[in-house]
Amino acid sequence: MRTDDSLLRDPTAEAAGLARAPVAAPADLRAGTVALLDIGKMRGDEFVDRLAALLAARGFRLKRWKKPTNTRTAPLPILQEIAAEAQAVIIALSDCGSCTSCSTHDLNDLDQRGVPGVNVLTEEFQDAFARQCGSLGFEGRAVFVPHPILNRTTAEIHAIAERYLEAILAALGSAEARRAA
Amino acid sequence: MPLDIPCPTLPDDGLVVFLKAECPTCQLVAPLLPALGATVVVQDAPAAFAGGWDDTALALSFAADIEVVPTLIRRVGGREVARTYGWDREEWRRLSGDAALGEALPVFRPGCGSKSREPNVHEHLVARFSQPGIGSRQVAVGEWDDPIEACFDRGWSDGLPVVPPTDARILRMLAGTPLSPQTVVGRMPPDLAPLTVEKVAINAVMAGCKPDYMPVLLAAIEAALEPVFTLHGIVCTTCFSAPIIIVNGPIARSIGMNSGINALGQGNRANATIGRALNLIIRNVGGGRPGELDRSTIGGPGKYTFCFAENEDDPRWQPLAQARGIAPGRSAVTLFQGDGIQGFVDWKSRTPEELSKSLSMSLLAVGHPKLCEFFNAILVLSPEHHAIFADAGWDRARIEASLRDNLRRPGTELVAGAQGVGEGMAPSRAGDMVDKFWPEGLLVVRAGGAAGLYSAICCGWSGGRFREESQPVTKEIIA
Repeated sequence: MRTDDSLLRDPTAEAAGLARAPVAAPADLRAGTVALLDIGKMRGDEFVDRLAALLAARGFRLKRWKKPTNTRTAPLPILQEIAAEAQAVIIALSDCGSCTSCSTHDLNDLDQRGVPGVNVLTEEFQDAFARQCGSLGFEGRAVFVPHPILNRTTAEIHAIAERYLEAILAALGSAEARRAA
Repeated sequence: MPLDIPCPTLPDDGLVVFLKAECPTCQLVAPLLPALGATVVVQDAPAAFAGGWDDTALALSFAADIEVVPTLIRRVGGREVARTYGWDREEWRRLSGDAALGEALPVFRPGCGSKSREPNVHEHLVARFSQPGIGSRQVAVGEWDDPIEACFDRGWSDGLPVVPPTDARILRMLAGTPLSPQTVVGRMPPDLAPLTVEKVAINAVMAGCKPDYMPVLLAAIEAALEPVFTLHGIVCTTCFSAPIIIVNGPIARSIGMNSGINALGQGNRANATIGRALNLIIRNVGGGRPGELDRSTIGGPGKYTFCFAENEDDPRWQPLAQARGIAPGRSAVTLFQGDGIQGFVDWKSRTPEELSKSLSMSLLAVGHPKLCEFFNAILVLSPEHHAIFADAGWDRARIEASLRDNLRRPGTELVAGAQGVGEGMAPSRAGDMVDKFWPEGLLVVRAGGAAGLYSAICCGWSGGRFREESQPVTKEIIA
């Protein structure tokens, strides 16, 4: 039998979904720093490298952080630093279950600190992302890229970054990307 | 009467006895049970009785609506046809058909209370084994997740932890009002969403209320939803304001509200949670969330909670509710659109005239010293300050009249640009003597501890300038 505390009742007017909407994306992504949070999964750094180069070339101010392991949520100091220094965050690249769960917690945590973000995951983990968001009660933003990642060449991973850059920026609310879309 | 809940696991025919090991009367009858052939249902320690069924979850006790142990029931064809409580030799003999049963036992021994009827247990059992009749969406929290964090995650909190709104807690809260959970008490701004008694109860649970606070909370909601209270404006305004709740009458004492030391501060559950519940309802049902439709530029701590009781321990003082038309001996809430406090310190005034002038100097600053007939206000007189008036024979009416006189200013000092300050009243008022407050715009209340020459001022919101459109509201509390 479930414990009593595991079933709650909705205190709202139930006019909207149960999940919490993410904080609004900044009006101008170039007005502040965009955090790139590498979750520490193998090969993910190659994706983030290319993403960083592309964003820098477009004039975005970037700062990178890297988790010590993809199998845990981000250490508190990293979350605090991102909240203090960045106005938006791109979290990449999840291609496994623990990556997905932990990175989605990071997305939720940063959102509650006021930092809007997008989680980049592979298509195989769309359901897992939805489930994790559901259990967190959070409408997280995500961009899904092709699966798998681990057995690709660096050139192929870079090509994926190039192909999904606009979608990532659009998810973060970039006016320029929305226009392009 | 047994509840209309199927009880399929009990035998269709025969005797059933409900027991608990810690009950002396249950122990008294235990030697009789093997010969009776009864099904033995045990609420606490099944091994304590031969062949005892495990009902530590109390499912069978709840289904059979057991109030006392031992209870002996005879069932025929799947239905109960007779029951008796405690040890009553004649009744046990009648139900069992054994005319010699318990000859060695006393004639009568009362039983003990059923575990299913212990305080706070019944609502848990309704939630687990019955249809609780709660219509709000159910939200499942992950097995390993913290329900308090889950409430934060879903945006249901004002920033402080909330009590998770489980069915058992909601049912207990609903017991605090005779109203049906489906009763719509109004439409809560800014979304103008229907507010049911059930949603009130859920948010009251989250705020930490006790069930007997419900009449006060419901009266506060009723007052807040009066059009002239302008709650919609209060919630969405860029001003600081939130509803300030003042409670008068016997209910304040009966639910343990604080009207004395630190009355406007922390530490009293009723003061803290009634005000908090109203603000959570505004947030969760009305959609008044900061940064979304709550656009308060700076905000204020009153947006968490601001609720206190008036100190009515001096018969020389007419309580606010009576001044606003509520009969003596009745309870009431008064809702005011305000913020604060602005502290008022006067350690030296000894006459009522001095103190009235002194208070007026601070009251003039409400909102802005040059804005008159604009903001309403609450003046919270401490007992020591009040005593200076009362000892000189001044009652409420005289205090208010004196303050009004002392707060009247020549328009030449108040118009925009006067005294080198751009803010101010319309130039057309230059020739007038202008009152600081509308005649009904200053609510004087008495609260606080016996010691301390400190009073407090709560500033009203800027909508108070529309005298007919935005006013404090008083409602009688119907418990």
